[in-house]
Amino acid sequence: MKTFGSLALVACAALTFGCASTAPTELVDARRAYEQASTGPAARLAPTELHAAAQALARAEAAFSDDANSYRTLDLAYVAQRKAEMAEAQASIAVEQIARTDSDVEYSDAQRDLVADQRKELGQARSDLALAEQNSENLANQLGSERDARRVAELESAKARAELAQLGELEDETRGTVITIPQSVLFRSNEAYLMPGADARLDLVVAALAATSDRNVIVEGHSDSEGSEAYNSTMTQRRADAIRDYLVRRGYPSGLVQARGMGEGQPVADNATSEGRSDNRRFQIIVERAGR
Amino acid sequence: MRHALLLMSLVFIVISGGCAKSPALDTGSSTSSIRAAEAVGAGTVPLASFHLQLAKEEVARAEELAAKGDHDRAKSLLQRAEADAELAILLSREQTEKSEADAAMARVRQLQRESR
Repeated sequence: MKTFGSLALVACAALTFGCASTAPTELVDARRAYEQASTGPAARLAPTELHAAAQALARAEAAFSDDANSYRTLDLAYVAQRKAEMAEAQASIAVEQIARTDSDVEYSDAQRDLVADQRKELGQARSDLALAEQNSENLANQLGSERDARRVAELESAKARAELAQLGELEDETRGTVITIPQSVLFRSNEAYLMPGADARLDLVVAALAATSDRNVIVEGHSDSEGSEAYNSTMTQRRADAIRDYLVRRGYPSGLVQARGMGEGQPVADNATSEGRSDNRRFQIIVERAGR
Repeated sequence: MRHALLLMSLVFIVISGGCAKSPALDTGSSTSSIRAAEAVGAGTVPLASFHLQLAKEEVARAEELAAKGDHDRAKSLLQRAEADAELAILLSREQTEKSEADAAMARVRQLQRESR
């Protein structure tokens, strides 16, 4: 309001008295400077300084009315111009201060958001870590259980081998683990069905095979040279089948067990002696190695 | 005798008039504003430095005029000097505020780059 009043005063003075003489350059510059300042941000952001400029211009106009080209008029006009420029400079300062404040607020907001994001990431990382630790613990427990199970299996296997060793000869060959059982503990002469008590002996084989239920098993029947070759071949096959059937009845997968009657063709001893013929009358249960 | 007395009176008046000291020019306000402008670094901001220099020259010119006896003219010129010095102060502050505003904006941009 004050500024408007001062401007009105200046305008009236200019109209009333200014037309009589040509305004000096200093006064023209002062008027232009004031107009520029009053139509810019200074009106809103530097009203006090702008009012001071209006008053300075009014004094210059009054001096101009008294004496158009006196040094006083020129000096007052010069000062009025500077006052208008000061109002503009003050407004510019206010603009920059507002911009800095806005930037500071934006910075604080961005920092807060960044901290929030980092806290969220940290929380997620902690969760992931806890999960990983839990998984690691579970895995360790699982490994421990598997180790224990393997130890038990090894012990049982050793026990089974020890028991099998009571049944017959146990050897590890290239083709696998070979259990050699004398014919006389399983079959009577000229009979192809298992004799009483044979099942108890074969149960030892079943127990040993329990730890290897995914392996191929071959039952081979062998005879001495007494009797015809055809008879020996047939008898050894029938007896091998009887053993195979027993193993399958006791739970071993039928697809993994084969029976072969080898007849008298693979003697391990001299058939000329009684002892030799007894050794040749045998069954071999071969547990093949894994992967065969 | 009368002529001699008259002559002596005239000489006395002239001497008295010649020995009277001119009133000192009060440049306090202008020089204070000039010092204030220098204190805020107006000399390092081009436009502010220009007005600061004008102020100094105007004070010097005013002192010359005062020494010659033209006090009214000198006082009027000191108004120019004070106005120029005050403008130099504001122009210097304007540059400072602009630099700080630019720095604040640069900090925001940097933080936004880091958070991507």
